[in-house]
Amino acid sequence: MQLLDTQTAAAQAAAAQPFSLTPPHAPAGMRVTKRNGSHEAVDLGKIVRAVTRAAQGLHAVEPLQVALKTIGGLYDGASTRELDELSIRTAAALTAEEPEYGQLAARLLGQVIEKEVRGQDIQAYSQAIARGAQLGLINARLAEFSAAHARKLDDAIDVAATARFEYFGLRTLYDRYLLRHPETRQVLETPQYFFMRIACALGGGDMAETLLLYRALADLDYLPSSPTLFNAGTTHEQMSSCYLLDSPEDSLEAIYARYSDVARLSKFAGGIGLSYSRVRAQGALIRGTNGRSNGIVPWLKTLDASVAAVNQGGRRKGACCVYLEPWHADIEDFLELRDNTGDEARRTHNLNLANWIPDLFMRRVEQDAAWSLFDPRQMPQLVDLWGDAFTRAYEEAEARGLAKRTLRARALYARMLQTLAETGNGWFTFKDRSNATCNQTAAGGNVVHLSNLCTEILEVSTEAETAVCNLASINLAQHVNDDGVDFDKLARSVALAVRQLDRVIDLNYYPIPGTRRSNARWRPVGLGVMGLQDVFFRLRLAFDSDAARALSTRISEEIYFHALRSSCMLAEQCGAHEAFADTRAAQGELQFDYWPEAQPQDAARWAELRARIRAHGLRNSLLIAIAPTATIASIAGCYECIEPQISNLFKRETLSGDFLVINRYLVEELKQLGLWTAAMRDAIKRAEGSIQGISEIPAPLRQIYRTVWELPQKALIELATARGAYVDQSQSLNLFMATPNLGQMSSMYMYAWKRGLKTTYYLRSRPATRIAQTTVSSAAPVQAVACSLENPEHCDACQ
Amino acid sequence: MPASDLDASPAMTAAAAAPTPARLLDPGFALTLRPMRYPAFYDMYRAAIRNTWTVEEVDFSGDVVDLRQRMSPAERHLIERLVAFFATGDSIVSNNLVLNLYTHINAPEARMYLSRQLYEEALHVQFYLTLLDTYLPDARARQDAFAAVQNIPSIAHKAAFCFKWMDSVRDLRRLDTHAQRRQFLLNLICFAACIEGLFFFAAFAYVYFLRARGLLHGLAGGTNWVFRDESCHMAFAFEVIATVRREQPELFDASLETEVRGMLAEAIDCEAQFAADVLSGGVAGLSLTQMRQYLEYVADRRLRLLGYAPQYGAGNPFAFMDLQDVQELTNFFERRVSSYQVGVGGELVFDAAF
Repeated sequence: MQLLDTQTAAAQAAAAQPFSLTPPHAPAGMRVTKRNGSHEAVDLGKIVRAVTRAAQGLHAVEPLQVALKTIGGLYDGASTRELDELSIRTAAALTAEEPEYGQLAARLLGQVIEKEVRGQDIQAYSQAIARGAQLGLINARLAEFSAAHARKLDDAIDVAATARFEYFGLRTLYDRYLLRHPETRQVLETPQYFFMRIACALGGGDMAETLLLYRALADLDYLPSSPTLFNAGTTHEQMSSCYLLDSPEDSLEAIYARYSDVARLSKFAGGIGLSYSRVRAQGALIRGTNGRSNGIVPWLKTLDASVAAVNQGGRRKGACCVYLEPWHADIEDFLELRDNTGDEARRTHNLNLANWIPDLFMRRVEQDAAWSLFDPRQMPQLVDLWGDAFTRAYEEAEARGLAKRTLRARALYARMLQTLAETGNGWFTFKDRSNATCNQTAAGGNVVHLSNLCTEILEVSTEAETAVCNLASINLAQHVNDDGVDFDKLARSVALAVRQLDRVIDLNYYPIPGTRRSNARWRPVGLGVMGLQDVFFRLRLAFDSDAARALSTRISEEIYFHALRSSCMLAEQCGAHEAFADTRAAQGELQFDYWPEAQPQDAARWAELRARIRAHGLRNSLLIAIAPTATIASIAGCYECIEPQISNLFKRETLSGDFLVINRYLVEELKQLGLWTAAMRDAIKRAEGSIQGISEIPAPLRQIYRTVWELPQKALIELATARGAYVDQSQSLNLFMATPNLGQMSSMYMYAWKRGLKTTYYLRSRPATRIAQTTVSSAAPVQAVACSLENPEHCDACQ
Repeated sequence: MPASDLDASPAMTAAAAAPTPARLLDPGFALTLRPMRYPAFYDMYRAAIRNTWTVEEVDFSGDVVDLRQRMSPAERHLIERLVAFFATGDSIVSNNLVLNLYTHINAPEARMYLSRQLYEEALHVQFYLTLLDTYLPDARARQDAFAAVQNIPSIAHKAAFCFKWMDSVRDLRRLDTHAQRRQFLLNLICFAACIEGLFFFAAFAYVYFLRARGLLHGLAGGTNWVFRDESCHMAFAFEVIATVRREQPELFDASLETEVRGMLAEAIDCEAQFAADVLSGGVAGLSLTQMRQYLEYVADRRLRLLGYAPQYGAGNPFAFMDLQDVQELTNFFERRVSSYQVGVGGELVFDAAF
């Protein structure tokens, strides 16, 4: 075609060197402004030397390139601080060419942090804590412990461990996690002091335990969730991630009291699940005024504003997910809350939405039967019933003609799927399965009314008791070597994590009253994993292979086993949790008993543990929950929880800015094959991080390095089902579909329900149109991309 | 529409009577959608619909805090200039769309796309207006921002460039002759390659620079969506150009190429002058030399899209622009994800593969 025909040799020559170096603009005339205000000429040699020092042991980086690019972006009179910052960002930006630049950027940033801390006359861990205490940031328990053991703790600090961070992990830590001086906003702690602070706060006052914890954190073997990292050892020690609030009772006072609960929980970094199923629907009579109710939407609009107003100490936004059962007569309005068109008075852009679905609804969908909607004002009992009791009450109400309206179950199901596809919201969570498999629902009256913000927590709640859970995740990438998973180390990490999580229950600051009581009775914790994809890459397993599923299941079984064992040992020392008698475990049941396909490995080991639990009880009613780990996985530098990779090359957007992330396992493989070239990088970038169309890469590698968009989603559901037998709470299971389609979605969610999953999370899709790529050369030497207009997939203009 | 309105336009009457035009630039108002002559335009129209967004979805809450607390005076100056440009830029594009493109691109499916584009331009204007109202609480300052197109030389200069190429086709009622079609093509190329393809791309670079540093999420988030739309507008314009080239290759002679190169060089100068103003306070990580190199790099890409040899041989100096070329993975707790689609098709079935 003409466009290509006229392309000259000059074009190709220019395209071959798309990343040519910027010549420094008159560096001789450039000056920097030093911290004391004096000026100094920019010295290229000095910058090169500083970068070279930081690059020790990194063989693929070129310090001169970093220095030149840094100077190229400088203006005359820039401060040395700006110079430091620019050199870090310059190095970080080269990560996509060579992952080692990410480590270089992290080390340069590490130096800046050290300098900042030392500059405030803080030379040791104990001094950092003392300063924090003086400033009113650190609580007395931690201050006293740190002062009493100052020498030992200071000596245990492993400065070299900071080199383990990837750039974006350290950046996230620096921007948001390290304690800052309230006025100057400078950080008071280095990353290692930060880990030591967490260890001392959660070590139970025991030196050996504290040092074990510190070592595990410094090695990034496991990390507690963000609220614990934010607040451990501080004066407001709110360390729980999740709060599950039952629906307010159907009264003005109860509704307003709930706003206040949500605000107080948000303030201290808790994520909130809130049911609204008890609140009367539109058109219901209001006795006090003889008027008619406007339904739940106006109340949720107020909640929306309230959630937006409370930000979590500036570190992240408040977040809340509202749950509604699909028999509620306002369900259709509820499903429109996140639409981006229509009446703004009926839209809530800050709330997440989830459906709490009884089995009867799914059965009616399957049978293409009718579905009735009720007003909770008339049928308040439905909220507290599940399983057969729910079905009986529901059908009886239908027979009595109490339905406000009846529609085809499939019409509502299609509407739910549509909301999910268009907004990503309106998650599918299954009420009956969640209750039937929950350790806390053995006694009548104890009902799980909802899940949490990320659909991995399932705990009973009532109007008076708000469920709470604190979380941590094991970094599986740190528990694998070339021979496979190190199960001994995994067992040790699990035991350590369970002890730590259990301590949080007693130390935690409870922002609202119903939470402390609930936590004392049930003592639930949520231990999860991250970096499952790292394990598969390391061992060269395709995500959807049988071997991968078997290994993932085995990992989950080991974690569940050792978590139960540790909790049982804690019960032997401190007693079982208060409500143990009301649990299924007290009757000898464990999670895999509810999963018919589960085949636990070593029956004798399980039998022994079961007997031990019956004898001594458990310290914790619930132990396992697979949380999304969005932020802590980036700190640890691994893939998120149980998820496949999104792409071999993607941008991570966080509050600290955007970072380019490249699959370093793939880069390593390509380097060994001699395929890691500029042309290869462009080819990967042009394909948006997919390598399926690059025929130079051997087929087995292409199989392993598929992106989540290229994997059958059925495989994700199968992995989750196999794992589910060892997850006593639930999993934040995202599903992915590049272009959602009702047929595939309806099949997929029906299948997820039939396989016995308790909850699912986001449906992720890709935008229908894209931004024009600006930095990939369009004349590509690899598999020459023909004319832009005939090959729209590969074209700059046609995207 | 009443028949009398149809009669009022001589062009319309002629078209209604005439058979479907043979070529895209043949004068008239073609109405026939089946058989469809240019399905690519219709596909673009449908893709655009699926990407609907609204200003209400953009969260500006952190921006004002960033402006006051996290940004230097030099960076605030950058933002003020940028917003002042955005405030009028999209309106200029809308005007040209209605006055020129819609009149002369004679295929109903193409006009469907242009109608959609017109809506998107209005949405962009609304976005930048909301932004401006949020950033500049003072009524006087707002007035000044909109007056920038007259008062601030670096912006006035860019606007003059746009108006020059709009004026050049103002008197074109019909594209009958070779010369008239050439004149129209130059206007189209100017808006696609220079205004949307260069001025806007430069403006996006400033936003992405800040975004890569975690600043101004509202501006960055909305601009991301604007950028996505603008990329489609550009793609549409280049598709029109390629179609015309296929149908009437004789229009693309050597003198057209010379004019296009001259036009791009002038656009680079305009934009570089604007950059000198925008960056006058000194912004580490964005030097004037780099900006010029970036403009030349982008200009080369536009030349290649038009089938011409690149002029400058410049590489991309901005690593942060790499960031917008790859998939985003948003932490749901922190930002609103911008990748959801509107409009889901298909039938409810239970045996589809997934």
